[in-house]
Amino acid sequence: MATARPGWSRRAQLGLFISFLALIAGVIVGLILLGLSLVAPKTFQGVRGAALDVTAPVTGALHEVTDTVGGMVTGAGNYWDAAHQNSKLKAERAQMVRQIIRAKAVLQENQQLKAALQLRERSRDAVATGRIVGSSFNSPRRFAILSAGSSDGVRIGMPVRSPDGLVGRVIDSGMLASRILLVSDRANIVPARLLRNGIPVISQGRGDGTVDVRPLEVGRNPFKRGDIIVTSGTGGLYPPLVPIARIVKLDDDGAIGMPLADPSTISFAIVEPPFEPAAAADNPAEPDAP
Amino acid sequence: MVRAALGSKRKIGQGPVRFATAVPAASVVAASFLCALPIISNFGWYPDFGFLALLSWRLLRSDPWPAWWTLPLGLVNDLFTGAPIGLSIALWSATMLALDLIDRRTMWRDYWTEWVVAAVLLAINEAIQWKIAAVMGASLPLRAMLPSFLVSICIFPLAAWVVSRIDRWRLGQ
Repeated sequence: MATARPGWSRRAQLGLFISFLALIAGVIVGLILLGLSLVAPKTFQGVRGAALDVTAPVTGALHEVTDTVGGMVTGAGNYWDAAHQNSKLKAERAQMVRQIIRAKAVLQENQQLKAALQLRERSRDAVATGRIVGSSFNSPRRFAILSAGSSDGVRIGMPVRSPDGLVGRVIDSGMLASRILLVSDRANIVPARLLRNGIPVISQGRGDGTVDVRPLEVGRNPFKRGDIIVTSGTGGLYPPLVPIARIVKLDDDGAIGMPLADPSTISFAIVEPPFEPAAAADNPAEPDAP
Repeated sequence: MVRAALGSKRKIGQGPVRFATAVPAASVVAASFLCALPIISNFGWYPDFGFLALLSWRLLRSDPWPAWWTLPLGLVNDLFTGAPIGLSIALWSATMLALDLIDRRTMWRDYWTEWVVAAVLLAINEAIQWKIAAVMGASLPLRAMLPSFLVSICIFPLAAWVVSRIDRWRLGQ
């Protein structure tokens, strides 16, 4: 045990003193680096990306294992009560076919109207697709690890989505993997609107897998349970009309939504280029413009 | 050790393992690397494995590694967990320093005292992580940190036990 005086040995006393100095130096160096990474986050981009390349392949390999084992368990579970499931699925399918026919008609009408207006749609190709293999499960922040990196064309600031909805945006990218700021992170603010009536709202993560949704204009609470929130495209980072969340609970001046793309269940995530090429990586969508 | 002669025959003449001095630091790095587990969670309730390992080692021994090794250990933890670089360096060095100062004051201690000291340091760790998240634009209510704090406190005895087993293994006891 380190006591006030480790005996009469001058050398031992000096050693103790130097270890104190080393720890004080450690605190000072740490504070300087912390200040740098808070003020100028770009300073450590390279080294953070390199660290991702070290950890993410391990995470990815382990993810394959757990995925396979989990798949076997759920696969066996699907045989249980199969007859009942089958009849339920058949009913759902019949309903879905009717909806698809209706949607096709709307799509056709939409195309005709757009042709009449001579609107041109910019084609949006995916930059890369990857799997979500890990997450920041021991931090107050909500990050996820995506198994696609700068060698696939992923750059910092690019939006990430899945077929179900918006996942987040890239904040660190290594050669083989990248780190995503999920929509449920507190620092991720997404300009959005209500799909039902187009009212502009803002979605901000709550750090626990849900998002806070607030209307831009103060007044009556415009939300209903079950409402879908989609991106508005404001700010130019996220493409418009990507589903974000479903409203699950109302509170006094807004609502709480559950993201439609749950990172723990989606199988693939798609990295897209920023909607407006001018939207720089380091100033993501700010909610100041409705 | 004289006592070794009283133990099982198998252990007589068995010395420390090779690189026994590097084992504590290596185990802290391994604990930091646990954040590479493929757990996709919507909550940050898992404990800070690296910090738990550091605390457990430091409470078990006053010199688990040369003091300045704390700096690279913190850097490795920052890189693995994706925390802003410098956070663990400063926090871990300060923790080691605080424990050195506590060691100078305390006359005796037992498991309960160690648990209380660990709980206080874990609380400080969580609070500083919360503060840094707020500075970086993610200002959560402080009660959001409560579950992970409680989980860490409950996990600490387990971490301390694992570390003591590793210690006995490395010294060949």
